[in-house]
Amino acid sequence: MTGISPNIPRDPLLKLLVALADDELILGHRDSEWTGHAPILEEDIAFSNIAQDEIGHSLALFTFYSELTGKSPDSMVFERPWKDFACCRFVAYPKGDFAYTVVRQYLFDEAEQVRMNSLLDSSFEPIRGLATKILAEEAYHLMHSKGLVVRLGDATEESHRRMQQAVTDAFPQALGMFETLNGEADLVKAGVVKPSDVLLQQWLERVVPTLTDSTLKTEARRSDGTWNIQCKPDHGGRVGNHGEHLKQLVSDLQSVYRTAPGAGW
Amino acid sequence: MSDTQWETYEVFHQSRRGKPHEHVGSVHAPDPEMALQMARDQFARRLECVSLWVVRTKDVTGTDYQDPDFFSRSFDKSYRDPKGFNAPAKIEPDTP
Repeated sequence: MTGISPNIPRDPLLKLLVALADDELILGHRDSEWTGHAPILEEDIAFSNIAQDEIGHSLALFTFYSELTGKSPDSMVFERPWKDFACCRFVAYPKGDFAYTVVRQYLFDEAEQVRMNSLLDSSFEPIRGLATKILAEEAYHLMHSKGLVVRLGDATEESHRRMQQAVTDAFPQALGMFETLNGEADLVKAGVVKPSDVLLQQWLERVVPTLTDSTLKTEARRSDGTWNIQCKPDHGGRVGNHGEHLKQLVSDLQSVYRTAPGAGW
Repeated sequence: MSDTQWETYEVFHQSRRGKPHEHVGSVHAPDPEMALQMARDQFARRLECVSLWVVRTKDVTGTDYQDPDFFSRSFDKSYRDPKGFNAPAKIEPDTP
């Protein structure tokens, strides 16, 4: 098992890894729900690929977690009760229409850029390599989702209407990705992570101009170089305050495993 | 009836530098940039690939099967063929 040096706050670090892994897993699951149902064949394939990539990132994070704790990825994914998941509420909402999925994926992909980039010089060295690998794949997710946002935002009356509705719904939800985790202050002090509010500002700096350029309105305004939010953020996921959506999702996800826990091929 | 399908792009894939690009299929896309991304997801995930080209299907100029005379073989032009020597499949070293 890999050790954590005593200057790194162990519990907050483990909580962070689980939160990030849960985000990837749950979003990957939602993305995979489009397989066979997407409006365009090529998008069906693209989202299936993206889903596999996200679940792969989740596996990488859970594998890293297991090196530190001895708890296997399978036990974390298939045996944990849904209330113990630490994903943000955002990723668990149903897939909605394709516009919602595209907007959600875009907002998440930009958040990944910000977060993974912030880990590249973490004082906890092993996480730097993991962040580098995830960034390599995420670059292509972002190209894809941003490409769709920019094209659909102002293409036709219908695409604009659907995309605006998606942004109106998703933007407050997305803020939950940056809900401050318990013990974050210690991780910041130890140089493991950057503060969530700093990451949030960096994320807003990326997404709001892109959305605005695509004629999509958000509830964020910039004054004196700082972004101010004018809507209530959908927080709670990081402390286990989840909705029925996650309960149903986790039940589906775990259903096969629970018929024969610990069974092998 | 309005056509809401995206245009198609023909996809060419190069498995290794120096080898020719091969036609592997087509994708629907709204423009060349997205076509390249679609081609990546459809044709470059499982095959080894170092280069992808996409070309709008309507930019491809081709021959018509209905016009075989384009490849006219009416007269015997076998004098053009490289006959008269055997090019061996494998070159053996000279044995002294």
